[in-house]
Amino acid sequence: MIRYIINRLLSIVFTFFFISILVFILMHAIPGGPFDPVDMPLSDSAKAKILKQYGLDQPLYVQYFKYMWGVLQFDFGIPYQSPGETVLELIGRAWVPSLILGGSGVLIGAPIGIALGLIAAIKRNSIIDYITSAISTLGLTVPVFVISMLLILLFSVWLEWLPASGWGEPKKWILPITAYAAIPMATYARYTRSAILDTLNKPFVTVLRAKGLSERKILFRHVIKNSAIPLVTVFLPMFIGTATGSIFVEAMFRVPGLGAYFVSSIENKDYPLEMSLLLMITVMFCFAYFIADLIYALLNPRIRLGDKKKQ
Amino acid sequence: MENQYKIRSPFFYAVMRLISNRAALVSGVLLFLIVLMAIFAPLITTTSYEEQKFLMNSLAFPSQAHWFGIDDLGRDLFSRIIYGARVSLTIGFAAAVCSVFIGLPLGALSGFYGGKVDWIIMRIIEVFSVVPPLIAALLLAALVDGGFFSIIFIAGIFGWVQVCLLVRAQVMAFKEKEFIRSSLALGASPMYVIFVHLIPNSISPIIVGFVQAIPLAMMLEAGLSFLGVGIQPPLPSWGQMINLGINFMFFYWHMALFPTLALAITVLVTTLFGDGLRDALDPTLKGKS
Repeated sequence: MIRYIINRLLSIVFTFFFISILVFILMHAIPGGPFDPVDMPLSDSAKAKILKQYGLDQPLYVQYFKYMWGVLQFDFGIPYQSPGETVLELIGRAWVPSLILGGSGVLIGAPIGIALGLIAAIKRNSIIDYITSAISTLGLTVPVFVISMLLILLFSVWLEWLPASGWGEPKKWILPITAYAAIPMATYARYTRSAILDTLNKPFVTVLRAKGLSERKILFRHVIKNSAIPLVTVFLPMFIGTATGSIFVEAMFRVPGLGAYFVSSIENKDYPLEMSLLLMITVMFCFAYFIADLIYALLNPRIRLGDKKKQ
Repeated sequence: MENQYKIRSPFFYAVMRLISNRAALVSGVLLFLIVLMAIFAPLITTTSYEEQKFLMNSLAFPSQAHWFGIDDLGRDLFSRIIYGARVSLTIGFAAAVCSVFIGLPLGALSGFYGGKVDWIIMRIIEVFSVVPPLIAALLLAALVDGGFFSIIFIAGIFGWVQVCLLVRAQVMAFKEKEFIRSSLALGASPMYVIFVHLIPNSISPIIVGFVQAIPLAMMLEAGLSFLGVGIQPPLPSWGQMINLGINFMFFYWHMALFPTLALAITVLVTTLFGDGLRDALDPTLKGKS
């Protein structure tokens, strides 16, 4: 187990540096620079001075190593778009709305999805089953900005129940949270349904039935427990997936969150911010998958005990 | 006595399974209609997508003359949606072709040789799995400056992983079979075995991978165009039109609703058809995604 963990950590480090190099090259390969005179003309000497100040006059590999050396000490640089703060401060500030909305979306969507999937699995081929599969197919296939647009058209344009955009009072949070909740709900409804159906077909359920256990006890004591593993493992990656989802949801609902910075940092060639955002997402995904695999191993006695036998 | 039962090909059973799957059948028919609509766009609508013919009644609501209304620049929205189907579907299909071109050889090599080749290809796939496609696509789109062909290329780069994994699994399952081993024992070169035996035997995962790559590419295109880095105007793209629709949705809802519905329906039927095809070609995979 320890060997496995070390191997995985090494592979994360490898991936991290590989992606950092890739992103750095790509980023600088995009024509144009951060201080090209678009809005206000800069004299050549002034531009040279700014470039020097940010170290952009040095060769690329020097810039890369300098930046990565900083990253290793948690110094992610200063964003060109708002030089008054560090990248970390900007991300910390902008992430709050994204985290509130995305987090509540997942926390609300996942239980509803599990409940729907459970009912659908028990009452197979009923109307509830069909509705659930329709909802989950919609949520999994249709892009999140389409869902957002339909929500806005329905609830703010036609019914005029809820405000469509903005940030602040909780009433404005309802629609974006619903949009965020769609994906977790759909994912969980589908996974739960298939996991429960899978377990219900296992021989041990037949044995339990033969023993005379009530269906309710079979379901709640045995089946759910045995189907839970895949559900636990998809949670973390999905949670982090809301960070990318924020690009669209926040653009649709005009929320001042992290989402807009993904696009603006690329558009404005804001190198430090761009690098930090991408590295952050990469690392979070790496660890999410890693932790999910560990939890999987911990929860599954076959893997956990099988490993001990080998040692 | 002669055998009363006609021996049918596996293809026949696949078609029967596909037809008996109602959702897949309905979405297949709808998809076919959308494809026809895209191909015969000039016959369906006489106004082109960029003609500002109706400037006098800009932003007019849907009517008998203009089924989906008119947009802010005096263009018929129905024509733009129909031509948008062309863009979306072409990108979907072309990107899926790209995905198969990249994924098929890599999957076959990695499944056949295993070992180091497999390790390297798996590490590449791992890198792709931790970088969100959309963000990487944003970077690439900025690099190659949007445009039709760049989007196809970008979607292909992110679509091949699924094809590669499907082919790899199939090749790994087949390479231990007797006919492969005897072929190798008779002196066939690995390349010959891969191209003559293994790839033809992977045809159903290839079809599945191809069809499943289409909606992903369409969504990526719509997403990029929505953010303004994809298809550039005047070429119509549903993602781009949705983005424009946000600005008008409170007063001129038709600007937002129709592109949204067009995108939602097309992506939905393509996905459902792909799932149905997967179930029909490989019943053992049923219900697993």
